[in-house]
Amino acid sequence: MATITDQGTAKVGAQVGRSVPRLEGRDKVTGRAEYTHTMRLSGMLHVKLFRSTVAHGRIKSVDTSAAKKLPGVAHVVTIEDVRKVIPDPYYGPAFHDQPILADGKVRFVGEPVAAVLAADPHVAEQAAQLIVAEYEELPAVYDEVEALTSKVHVHDVLKPAGTFADLKHLKDAKGTNLALDYRLRRGDVDKAFASAAHVFEHEFRTQKVLHLSFEPHATIADYKDSGVTLHTASQGPSFVRTEIARLLGWPENKVRIKVPYLGSGYGSKLYIKLEALALALSMIARLPVKVALTMEEMFYQITKHPSTFRIKSGVDKDGKIIARKCEVYWNGGAYADIGPRVTQKSGLTASGPYDIDNVWIDSYALYTNMTPAGALRGFGVPQLVWAYESHTDMIARALKIDAVEFRRKNLLREGRPHPTGTVLKDAAIEKVLDRLVERINWKQPMDRGTGVVRRGRGLGIAIKAVISPTTSVAIVNVSADGSVALYCGTIDMGQGSDTAMAQMVGEVLNMPAESVRVVQRDTDVTPYDMGTLGSRSLFHMGHAVRRAAEDAQEKLKALACEVGEPEGSNIPIPALFVKKYGMQAGNVIGTGIYKPDYVPPAPGTGLSSNVTPFWMISGAGAEVEVDTETGHIKIAKLISVLDIGKSINPKIVETQISGAALMQLGFTMFEKMHLDGGQVTNASLADYKIPGFHDVPTAMENLTVDVTQSNGPFGAKGVGEVSTFCVSPAIANAIDDAVGVRLMELPLNPESVLRALRVKAGKPLGDE
Amino acid sequence: MIPFELAEPKSLTEAIKLLAPDDAMVRPIAGGTALMLMMKAGVFHPTRLVSLGKIEKKYSGIAAGKDGLRIGAMTTLSALEQSLDMKKLAPVITRTLRTLSNVRVRNVATVGGALAHADPHMDLPPVLIALGASMSIAGPSGERELAVEDLFTGYYETVLQKNELIAEVRVPSQDGTRAAYMKVTTGSADDWPALGVAVALQSDGNAVKSARVVVSAATSKAMRLPGAEAALAGQRIDDKILARAGEAAANEADFIADVRGSVSYKRELLRVYIGRAVRAALESGAH
Ligand SMILES: Cc1cc2nc3c(=O)[nH]c(=O)nc-3n(C[C@H](O)[C@H](O)[C@H](O)COP(=O)(O)OP(=O)(O)OC[C@H]3O[C@@H](n4cnc5c(N)ncnc54)[C@H](O)[C@@H]3O)c2cc1C
Repeated sequence: MATITDQGTAKVGAQVGRSVPRLEGRDKVTGRAEYTHTMRLSGMLHVKLFRSTVAHGRIKSVDTSAAKKLPGVAHVVTIEDVRKVIPDPYYGPAFHDQPILADGKVRFVGEPVAAVLAADPHVAEQAAQLIVAEYEELPAVYDEVEALTSKVHVHDVLKPAGTFADLKHLKDAKGTNLALDYRLRRGDVDKAFASAAHVFEHEFRTQKVLHLSFEPHATIADYKDSGVTLHTASQGPSFVRTEIARLLGWPENKVRIKVPYLGSGYGSKLYIKLEALALALSMIARLPVKVALTMEEMFYQITKHPSTFRIKSGVDKDGKIIARKCEVYWNGGAYADIGPRVTQKSGLTASGPYDIDNVWIDSYALYTNMTPAGALRGFGVPQLVWAYESHTDMIARALKIDAVEFRRKNLLREGRPHPTGTVLKDAAIEKVLDRLVERINWKQPMDRGTGVVRRGRGLGIAIKAVISPTTSVAIVNVSADGSVALYCGTIDMGQGSDTAMAQMVGEVLNMPAESVRVVQRDTDVTPYDMGTLGSRSLFHMGHAVRRAAEDAQEKLKALACEVGEPEGSNIPIPALFVKKYGMQAGNVIGTGIYKPDYVPPAPGTGLSSNVTPFWMISGAGAEVEVDTETGHIKIAKLISVLDIGKSINPKIVETQISGAALMQLGFTMFEKMHLDGGQVTNASLADYKIPGFHDVPTAMENLTVDVTQSNGPFGAKGVGEVSTFCVSPAIANAIDDAVGVRLMELPLNPESVLRALRVKAGKPLGDE
Repeated sequence: MIPFELAEPKSLTEAIKLLAPDDAMVRPIAGGTALMLMMKAGVFHPTRLVSLGKIEKKYSGIAAGKDGLRIGAMTTLSALEQSLDMKKLAPVITRTLRTLSNVRVRNVATVGGALAHADPHMDLPPVLIALGASMSIAGPSGERELAVEDLFTGYYETVLQKNELIAEVRVPSQDGTRAAYMKVTTGSADDWPALGVAVALQSDGNAVKSARVVVSAATSKAMRLPGAEAALAGQRIDDKILARAGEAAANEADFIADVRGSVSYKRELLRVYIGRAVRAALESGAH
């Protein structure tokens, strides 16, 4: 709930572009903000899950008898029980491939097999430990490249959801792990490679990491035959409602999804996660049921995609890239989740922010026997940029061309077609590069270090298309006292969207942002939104909110006219309502809908004349110090430069840039889920570390270039994920610059660096 | 959590009586920072916890004497960190405590717990071993004296009987000792170390008379490295001597591989950090 603070001192007018303090900040720091994870309903049962210990196996038996006997246990549920209330218990956004509880087979270590319900969560936990399952173990596949040709198949039959047209051809496919193959074909790469003066080919890999939102996943379902309410930590309540209605065979108006504040999400709480399970359990128990994960259990919910990217470039004698071939393998884990979308939507920019006439992209979504993978702050783009900006640097190095010069020669410029065919507009790639070069002093020589410490610097630039086409709807409600409430489905999970949306309403209606109340998300109340994802909300929902406010403005004007006010009258809003209704009564409701124009990529070639309503552009530069005796890296400087159009709230923009860059720093330097036979061996915060304050680079700059997104709301576009893109290659390029070794796989941890240094020195470290 | 009994005896003797020599489900609890995590993770289900929170006050104080410091086992790590006596006797301990976990943990975790827990990644044990610290161990039949270096038998294992308690830790006077502790992380800066190295030198300027060298984290327990100690003793420190000591350490330590590094890598780290720790000790000035 947005509190109204400092209303008296807040500026009127010029709401956009002002660093309005976060509207909900006070509630959060005083512990008064509501989160699903801490919410209780009366009579509520708690759930603990019994999870698979094998990566791939047929379930021979699940013995729940001892658990059922434990005093205090209300229910012990397996898929047989679920089927009695939901006959077809499979869910998912792209494929209906995920069973509510394991159904005949288990497909990854940690997959939920049975659920225990009890009023006391400790009793449920104890009972879950009494369950015994027997499996017939099957061979498993973990590697994404192997998965493409493996004889081991994670699913017997593929079940596309039908939501996405480009997945329909996979319906009922058998004997494959391939959940989507996106292709882009432009020009003739083979011919271009044959004529190229130089051809370079490299393979890059990324590791399995996860979101680790501060608030773990949590859902409370309260089922009644008359309707169901879910309180859930979700980034997309509209999608949850659609999917729950589908599982029940009900109209959407009997399904209500309520979302309080989120303790972050980063993509982990998109589409449908615990909601289907909570629904089924509440139907069985006929009571409110809460499923809430521990930090440790999040390692078995959703992760980022590990990837392998084979990239090949042909360069002519002048240093112009004339062909690029990209083969990207995405390790999607056991259930597709939104992986196919990641594969396609990021796949289309796999060749980078370069002007290349001949481009070939194959992007494969693959099933493996691991925790499912989904969207994580960048929708796959950080994995791609890691590869193509490392590759670009390696080419420049090999050709002895300055890394910035090489990029300039090949930059995709305004007005030129991107490899998809969409003409580049409002994409300040060159400005971003200019600013980066200036801030990192590229043209000045740098101190290279002495003794065992060597210094170097590197950079990278990137482009991303926003997920399209998507729709947002907003309502602005003006009450008779003149106060305003905004109804929009964008989830404020810490990124400050409530504040930014309120600023846009304030800008249109000429009132302080602090006085606009942003109504909590509730699908009975707040209208449709596709989801808070992929840096789309400020643009899409921003337009819907702007239109809703403008609509309210028009209606207020019409009302003034109706009650006989002269043209341009300044009558206060309360007086206007009194004039119309004879007392403080009535409402003015403004509505706004936004869906951008879009042309779907042509099947087979992936080409489209309008693939995205806006481009996200970013660059990063890093200065590193390498300890050549131990491989330790110190990040002396990390600079992010972004094109985000106009800033609606500069302070929030700055913290989004630094936050995303630091998150990617963890994925770059040390975060890694270690796996042994499909088992995560470091599934806890004691052994899986994320960056802390001591990991923040000595100097950090979080910058934007001064541009306007001409079709954006108030000239703006999204920012949430943009500074993640270039961090990894900038650092790898800096390491190469410092010590002449090239790392091809993340993370760039001290051991990898030392091993590479030792290989270079002809004294490789042993394999012990 | 399954219900269990929490006993809060008023004396150390009473606490020992409440412990059970043969029952692993009965344990003492001090600050609880380590034990509660094990209970939360479901790896320890007690039937009875014997809290040391209410035993005699003398077990949570620090007393300075001619022969060094006596630290009650219930002294919190914060109290130790802030003790001026400690800083005077062995500033290396004060420095080590600043990067040991965080202030919330240090405010409740105890010196006794920091030793008895026997996680090889912990910071205090290698430093105490290097400084030649010992403990007074209380059991049903009275107290015995034990050097900290003889406490650990393996990964999370000690020589303590189930009904024995660490009562007090003694750090002898450190006249002329120069000491350093290096905590080497390979993940985030506040990760558990991949390697800990503690050295305490008796030296005259650059000339080392004797050395105590301890490795932790990379091995299954904190332990002295006699080969490295011998390589340093009686030597004037230069790069060659340090390389020799590093080599000796790398050869004698028994490394374990984990998510923080392979055996080969940890061996390289130790080789390098022996020298760095010795140099840091020499630069730190005498205690
Ligand atoms: C978030 C976090 C970060 C940490 N980071 C670090 C770090 O960076 N470096 C580091 O060194 N440590 C670190 N630790 C570990 C911490 O130092 C230990 O948890 C703490 O020292 C244990 O002391 P305690 O009093 O809480 O012990 P408890 O948890 O009460 O007990 C631990 C064990 O010791 C036994 N025990 C306790 N007192 C006695 C006694 N007097 N006699 C016999 N047995 C006894 C208990 O039975 C139990 O087995 C960290 C811990 C946490 C929770």
